[in-house]
Amino acid sequence: MKAVLFLFALVCTLWQCVHAQIPSEQEQHVTSFFNSHGGSTSRHTNNWAVLVCSSRYWFNYRHMANALGMYRTVKRLGIPDSNIILMLADDTACNSRNKFPGCVYASAARDLDLYGDNIEVDYRGYEVTVENFIRVLTGRMDPSVPRSKRLLTDDRSNVFVYMTGHGGNEFLKFQDNEEISAFDIADAFEQMWQKKRYNEIFFMIDTCQANTMYSKFYSPNILATGSSELDENSYSHENDRDLGISVIDRFTHHILRFMEGVNKTSQATMQDLFNVYDYEKFMSHAGVRSDLFRRPLDQTYITDFFGGVSQAEVMSPPLSLSPSSNEGSEPENVPESELPVELDQSLDFTSWISSDTNATVRSADEVYGYDGILHELNSRAHAPKQGENMQSVRAWVSTGLLVALVGWVGSNTT
Amino acid sequence: MDFGLVYPALVAGRLLLAFAPLPDALKHDHQLSSPLTSYPRLQEGVYLFQHGIDPYSGGLFRHSPLLLSLFSTALPLNKFTSACLWTACDAISAWALVKIWRARQRVSQSSRDSLIAAIYLLNPYLLLPTLALSTSTIENMLFLLSLMFASQGQSSPSLLALALLVQLSLPSAIFIVPMILLLLSDPVSRLASPREFNTYLSSILAKLGLWWYFFTEMFDHFRPFFLMVFSAHLLIYVLPVCLKFQHDILYATYILAGVYATFKPYPTLSDPGLFISLISLFPETYQYLRYPIVTTLLHLHSALLLPLFHHLWLSQGTGNANFFYASTLVFGVSNGAALLDAIWAGLRIAVGNLPEGYELIQK
Repeated sequence: MKAVLFLFALVCTLWQCVHAQIPSEQEQHVTSFFNSHGGSTSRHTNNWAVLVCSSRYWFNYRHMANALGMYRTVKRLGIPDSNIILMLADDTACNSRNKFPGCVYASAARDLDLYGDNIEVDYRGYEVTVENFIRVLTGRMDPSVPRSKRLLTDDRSNVFVYMTGHGGNEFLKFQDNEEISAFDIADAFEQMWQKKRYNEIFFMIDTCQANTMYSKFYSPNILATGSSELDENSYSHENDRDLGISVIDRFTHHILRFMEGVNKTSQATMQDLFNVYDYEKFMSHAGVRSDLFRRPLDQTYITDFFGGVSQAEVMSPPLSLSPSSNEGSEPENVPESELPVELDQSLDFTSWISSDTNATVRSADEVYGYDGILHELNSRAHAPKQGENMQSVRAWVSTGLLVALVGWVGSNTT
Repeated sequence: MDFGLVYPALVAGRLLLAFAPLPDALKHDHQLSSPLTSYPRLQEGVYLFQHGIDPYSGGLFRHSPLLLSLFSTALPLNKFTSACLWTACDAISAWALVKIWRARQRVSQSSRDSLIAAIYLLNPYLLLPTLALSTSTIENMLFLLSLMFASQGQSSPSLLALALLVQLSLPSAIFIVPMILLLLSDPVSRLASPREFNTYLSSILAKLGLWWYFFTEMFDHFRPFFLMVFSAHLLIYVLPVCLKFQHDILYATYILAGVYATFKPYPTLSDPGLFISLISLFPETYQYLRYPIVTTLLHLHSALLLPLFHHLWLSQGTGNANFFYASTLVFGVSNGAALLDAIWAGLRIAVGNLPEGYELIQK
């Protein structure tokens, strides 16, 4: 008897294992969607950015400008404020020494105010600490921390982590009283990997001896770059005569200049970015670490990390519950006219967001004021005809009963 | 004025008004319809039902299944039929009110008929919810039909209408007892009849806090308790009022309609509207109302403030919820004042005219 039970249990477990290996048809479809271009496209569906400026005080203006320049770039390319964690000491724009109050400039020509109106700093002042930074990355926070201060990534998020400040051999100074080591960041990234909190990470750091900071990473899917080697300094780019301090660092300045030529539909790759690196311009050896990164750099788009651009496919309606035409259109280079525009047929996600596609829904008599989503959902999910018939039969029967009751009472009264 | 002329004229006027192009905002106004009576929600529920989705699975549709079955089969809801149907409901309610009056006065026709019909059909508290297509119109119609059949002594139709009413809105269950008592008695007015009465007209200082604000401020821990208290609160008025006015049950029903209007969980304007329209049935009490001017002014005050503060809070954004809450409190006070007036008048009328030098006191 016991032997029989044991055999049965064994067979069950084996069957489960075997079953688990064979992906379901849905899983296969999803994987093929993401692998549609030979596996070099990124599998991410959302983008996040963590931008940290670890210095404070007026003379570290350039670090603030570094972080703010990255913030503006990342926002311009499509990552919304809700997906950006910006950690700044935020004491420059309204500093009493600032001759241009409320403004932070990244060039001596003062052509672009990086601070401006539309800015959301999540951790400011004394909140920029090592502990908060690691908590942001790992997600281990007190339940009272609001959503805007959380990194709510999942296993399909690409995260861009940018750090700037004063650093050294495998450490980075946080606000003059504590430091974070390369091991800490590496462990934090490993925690993220274990918890499936990222798809790919792009780590960029602009400090002195920056490349040492990424030397300790050991988790997969991390691409890292730094501004200077061990025993090298990273230099500032230019001084502003009116402000009296340096306004930007060389590494970040040249990266930002490169990014100015990048927009949301750009096909520029990370290799193009790294080709900008030049010792003559930086006065330091900027480095790249790509051994942990699975994809080739010349097929990894800039917008995979810097922008909020993701792959979308417009499919024909799944009436037969099978994907018919896989028009895998990359959003970058398909012109508007080629996309199928049958708005009332296709599950076009953009029409859900914009609210002016109500016209297809119902007659003007019954405008509910809703998006028509329900209508589209219902016209898809063809409930079995039998169920609907049963419902209407029940409704008619109940109405009939009511009428009969009223009639019976009426006839008995007189 | 001849009832046969006035009544069709009023109904025709109402019908025209119902077909006039009205702002859609009327249907969504929160004073004219509550989540239990709102027309857009009714439409939503019918639509979901017709497409095979359970309308009660979301929190949106709270109407009774009767309405669901009726409007998804026999009566399709569109602009034409709903306007006709709601006007018909109001017309039937006005006609029922007139019949109640006639039954009470024991006449087949009287000069006040047209006035009573006009009071019902032109009452803004009832006109606006009907234009907003709130299902409280149907509830009012069922209540008045039940009352009419009870006044005429026909128990089956009366109880059927009452059953349908309770199906539509549960707090109407407070009308079960007085309706049964009314069926057992005669609706003739006996308010002024001499009888022994004990003057413990204790101060009915009703708790006029409104459900919603109270419940927002409450700890979750106490919610079930207070829900029970508020629901039981409605019920405790039934027996005392019926006992006190057992000589004239119609008046007791009228008082309970006022209690229902003030204390029900999701009140709208149509409930005090019904109460105010019912006052036309009891002209003998008018001279004995204690503070009619105060009550009228309070009602006017709150009727003006309610939409103003609602707009200020939710549309313009310069006010906050406390403004609206204060105006709902004033509204509750005005309802309570009307109730107090009615109860006082109902009891005072039995004393009759006081001879010189005498004063009415409470022991």
